[in-house]
Amino acid sequence: MNSPIIKTKNLCRYFKRANYEIKAIDNVDMEVKRGEFLALVGSSGSGKSTLLALMAGLDAPTSGTIMIGDSIMGEMSPNELSSYRANRMGTVFQSFNLIPHRTALQNVELAMFFNNTPPDVRTEKAISALEKLGLSERMDHRPSDLSGGEQQRVAIARALVKKPDIIFADEPTGNLDQEHSNQIVSILKELNGEGITIIMVTHDLELAQKYSERIIKLVYGKIESEEQL
Amino acid sequence: MIFRDLVTMPLGNLWRIKLRSALTISGVMIAIGTFVAMLSFGAGNEQYVTEQWEKLGLFNTMYVYPLREDSDNDTTQNATLNDSAIVSLALLPGVEFAYPFASFDVTAIIDDSSQSFDAQALPLVATETKMFSQLKDGRMFETDSAQEVVVTTVFLKEFEIDSSSSVIGKQLVLSVERLRLDSAVASLLRNSGEAVRRVFHKNMLDSLKQTGYMRRIMESELSQAANSFSDGFFNSPAIISDTLTIVGVLKTGRGRGRLEPVLIPMATAERFYSGGMSNNPTELLASVTSGSIDFSSSSKIKRNYPRVTLQLDRHTPFQTVKDSIEALGFRSFSYAEKFEELSKFFFYFDFALALIGMIALTTASLGIVNTMVMSISERRREIGVLKSLGASERDIKILFLFESALIGSIGAVCGILLGWGVARISSAVVQFYMAKEGIEGIELFVLPWWLVLIAFAFGLLISILAGAYPAARAAKIDPMEALRTG
Ligand SMILES: Nc1ncnc2c1ncn2[C@@H]1O[C@H](COP(=O)(O)OP(=O)(O)OP(=O)(O)O)[C@@H](O)[C@H]1O
Ligand SMILES: [Mg+2]
Repeated sequence: MNSPIIKTKNLCRYFKRANYEIKAIDNVDMEVKRGEFLALVGSSGSGKSTLLALMAGLDAPTSGTIMIGDSIMGEMSPNELSSYRANRMGTVFQSFNLIPHRTALQNVELAMFFNNTPPDVRTEKAISALEKLGLSERMDHRPSDLSGGEQQRVAIARALVKKPDIIFADEPTGNLDQEHSNQIVSILKELNGEGITIIMVTHDLELAQKYSERIIKLVYGKIESEEQL
Repeated sequence: MIFRDLVTMPLGNLWRIKLRSALTISGVMIAIGTFVAMLSFGAGNEQYVTEQWEKLGLFNTMYVYPLREDSDNDTTQNATLNDSAIVSLALLPGVEFAYPFASFDVTAIIDDSSQSFDAQALPLVATETKMFSQLKDGRMFETDSAQEVVVTTVFLKEFEIDSSSSVIGKQLVLSVERLRLDSAVASLLRNSGEAVRRVFHKNMLDSLKQTGYMRRIMESELSQAANSFSDGFFNSPAIISDTLTIVGVLKTGRGRGRLEPVLIPMATAERFYSGGMSNNPTELLASVTSGSIDFSSSSKIKRNYPRVTLQLDRHTPFQTVKDSIEALGFRSFSYAEKFEELSKFFFYFDFALALIGMIALTTASLGIVNTMVMSISERRREIGVLKSLGASERDIKILFLFESALIGSIGAVCGILLGWGVARISSAVVQFYMAKEGIEGIELFVLPWWLVLIAFAFGLLISILAGAYPAARAAKIDPMEALRTG
């Protein structure tokens, strides 16, 4: 429980443009402990989403290393990397990224396409995940027929349905009112209670303080402060 | 992903963009349809020819000829095709039986009208071959010495007889003119006997004195004698005639091997051509030069045949038989051998037809590439999501390859049906015009199972090839980039 599940070292992610360079992540050293509920805060453009994408293996660093458990992400083969995404992590995107032409149920099922789950088990698990998030009435709806909060919950269902080791949640409460925000984050807290490591990006400091165990604050791609709660 | 996902996911994607999918699939369908219709025509032609050959037993027929004069050299003996040669040919492994081609001119009289024909003497065994089983009416003769005759439809045409059944059972008087030395000698004696005697007499008396004059006299007398001889030889042939019953009518037609209009059992025919020398100059010359003339009409004649027909065992490769024939000092001809050349021709013919289909397929494949590239650029975000959910590059590639393979297979299946339909319609049109022209309907379009398989395989292959580039591009999409920009 106390060995880090993710560890970054001198992590940098720069975006080179013709006449300037954006240092989205600049020399970040951090650790995420197994089973931890970590909140990443920071103002808009501070690099929170970029850091999340790097840790989720969706983006490659400009320099520095990321360790997932005992393996260095940069040394993983493309297959190991996709297997990591398929089996060990779930992502809730800031913009949900649900597939518009698929129903809520199908979107959730899709999370288990690439980890050898048999089709009937997929459906079964997807239904129970959606029920857990109070979407039993919305399973056959397409994202366009769902409210922002409902889409958010479908995205969370998709991230948690395969019981990953880690859930990366990018502004999971961004579109929600106070009541729903609390509801969503308590679901994450519950999952965290089941042993899933949660890394949540938010700019709602109050929410972070209420639910997370540790808060890391990013400013211009650097860790400005760290607060253990 | 399991196989079912690989079908249902791409199928769903194609279904969502119905119009575009339908258009792309139509392209493949038309191309495969063209391909199938074209090759159906090629296959139909090939099948028709093969069937005809098969029907006539041409694949197990081989002809043996004596070596040509000009190919005559010291190393090969110039064997003659006589009766003993036929026996040795018949004994070759793989040869079921052998019979000579013995043909001669006959005059046929039926119901008071007369016509000249070529007649062929045929052994009973030959009637078992497919070549002589194409009966229009009646039957083949029953024994080698039956007083029976079989005629062909050509024969009926010459006599302007419409119904083949009406001639069955009719009496046919056949007569042959044979040149005989005895009639020549008789004529010589009749006309020039006295003159010859005189020549020799005078010659004896005056041979010493008037050589020049006598020579002239002798020359004129002798030439007169020679004239009488040849007069008798050529102008008073013996006429051999016989009355036979017509028992059958054989079909003749396009592609049939050489078939004389009158076919006579071997032993029955013997008397027509054994009573003297043929009045056919070539035959006459042949028998004179080969020294096979026998003047006695009763003894069996040593004959040279221009050709011997061999009936081969179905399972013996023709090359083995051919080699043994060459070893005997003859040359051979077989249709099976020719058919190999014909097959080559059909291969190129089919190839040319297929090429037209291929060109259409190439165009269709560009349609597939276009559709795939478009749908991939529209689905960048989706690909990013799939990757974030753990799809590997390989998974993405396979998904898109399946999508284009699906276009190809649906197009191919529809195309096979379309091509089959076009072939059926074309066939009906051709049959209609053939019937109008009074030609027996020929099926020139067939759809063999191999063509269905090849067409499907082509559709599939082309679509997979067409999908390869777009799929590779899809697989390389950077998920972060795709999710940010959509
Ligand atoms: N692919 C990219 N190309 C260029 N610049 C990028 C790219 N991704 C991120 N950036 C830049 O990097 C910086 C950090 O972006 P990031 O999305 O990580 O911020 P964030 O903290 O998630 O902000 P927000 O709270 O608005 O989501 C921004 O200035 C952004 O413009
Ligand atoms: Mg962000």
